[in-house]
Amino acid sequence: MLLNGLIAAVEHGLNRVLRLDSTALPRLAQLDGKVVEIDCLQPALKLFILPCEAGLMLAGHWEGGADCTLRAPAGSLLQLALSKDKTAILHSPQVDLSGDTAVLMDLVAVLQDLDLDWEYEVQRWIGPVGTSLLAGHLRSRAGWTRQGLASLTRNMADYLAEETRTLVGKHEGEAHFAELDRLKLDVERLEARIDRLLRSHNSSDNA
Amino acid sequence: MNDQRKAPEAEPTTHFGYKTVAESQKAEKVAEVFHSVAAKYDLMNDLLSGGMHRLWKRFAIELSGVRSGNRVLDIAGGTGDLARKFSQLVGPTGHVVLADINESMLKVGRDRLLDVGVSGNVEFVQADAEKLPFPDNHFDCVTIAFGLRNVTHKEAAIASMLRVLKPGGRLLVLEFSKPTNKLMSKAYDAYSFAFMPLMGKLITNDSESYRYLAESIRMHPDQETLKSMMVQAGFDRVTYHNMTSGIVALHRGIKP
Repeated sequence: MLLNGLIAAVEHGLNRVLRLDSTALPRLAQLDGKVVEIDCLQPALKLFILPCEAGLMLAGHWEGGADCTLRAPAGSLLQLALSKDKTAILHSPQVDLSGDTAVLMDLVAVLQDLDLDWEYEVQRWIGPVGTSLLAGHLRSRAGWTRQGLASLTRNMADYLAEETRTLVGKHEGEAHFAELDRLKLDVERLEARIDRLLRSHNSSDNA
Repeated sequence: MNDQRKAPEAEPTTHFGYKTVAESQKAEKVAEVFHSVAAKYDLMNDLLSGGMHRLWKRFAIELSGVRSGNRVLDIAGGTGDLARKFSQLVGPTGHVVLADINESMLKVGRDRLLDVGVSGNVEFVQADAEKLPFPDNHFDCVTIAFGLRNVTHKEAAIASMLRVLKPGGRLLVLEFSKPTNKLMSKAYDAYSFAFMPLMGKLITNDSESYRYLAESIRMHPDQETLKSMMVQAGFDRVTYHNMTSGIVALHRGIKP
């Protein structure tokens, strides 16, 4: 019952989020009637996902059988949920996919393409003017944070490479590796020449 | 001379909560209870069960195995909790019938479903569970949630449900039952006979209906008795699942 309650709460929250995307529900409606089984191997846990036009219905148990089954350990499932490139994880050896895989791929695509109109939801609570001000402020803060992080990364790299000489700069490293490659080739050529000289010396002794 | 007149035969009796009433009166009395509570039925369900009734119904849906295109009958469907989910599951090619003997409950259920946009594949029928007005072998799944204990002739109702099911179809009976834990049983008794009528009085100004609810639960057959009733009616592979320590049980049977 506890797990059922948890699943019900997740379903409720997830469907609220899905309603914020204008295309998610019509796309889920196309999967109406399909059942996807997620079988977590470690820890052992099963979850059934039933897409419909109202969102997703989640169930811990389903009598009707599944159209597609995804079997994987919890780590891979978590990676699948968080990763942007879900296709690569679905093809990894720990993940076992059986049945009509198109259903799962379509479901994953819907979740991957989610573009949530969070401003609409906030607008319902604080009104359009407040939402516009809040959204503008948040966007400028997010832009400032992104710029700040990019600048910090660049400055840190410069400081470690140029000032403290802790790390080798990219160009300097590339020049060094090119020099090593040249040296390696020269050594190999020299080795080949010595071999040839030794062979010619041995053949003149025998004659 | 002997008096040839026969004494009028006493009418069979049945229970209405802890009271014994004539069989013909039970349906009327049950109807009175539900007319009284219909308007605040959902609110009271949430308050009295702490929202647990939603989880019990979720489990019933999980066990129903209902798929796209199925025909489902929800008897004593009340305010349409199960019918709403079934409507999503069967899709536009399926069909759901929400049946209830009580007109007030049916009206509340119909309005509620229409308000949330459920229409097209749902039909509302006022029907007696003992004499279901549907053809034989018609439904893939029949459910009755918290309704069987109010039926006067339970055997007749179960037989009627068997008749309308297709072979291989499932009957799900979700109903209050007997707690499996003694401590829980005592706490549940105290809760049912003290708290439930009090809440009924405070919210619907009707403590009697909620006293009836508590009494009718005690008079309802326990898990094993209901299972044997379903087997006797002709159901196959009858199983039950206790929920919340047996306060509620979900019985499932398959029509052979």
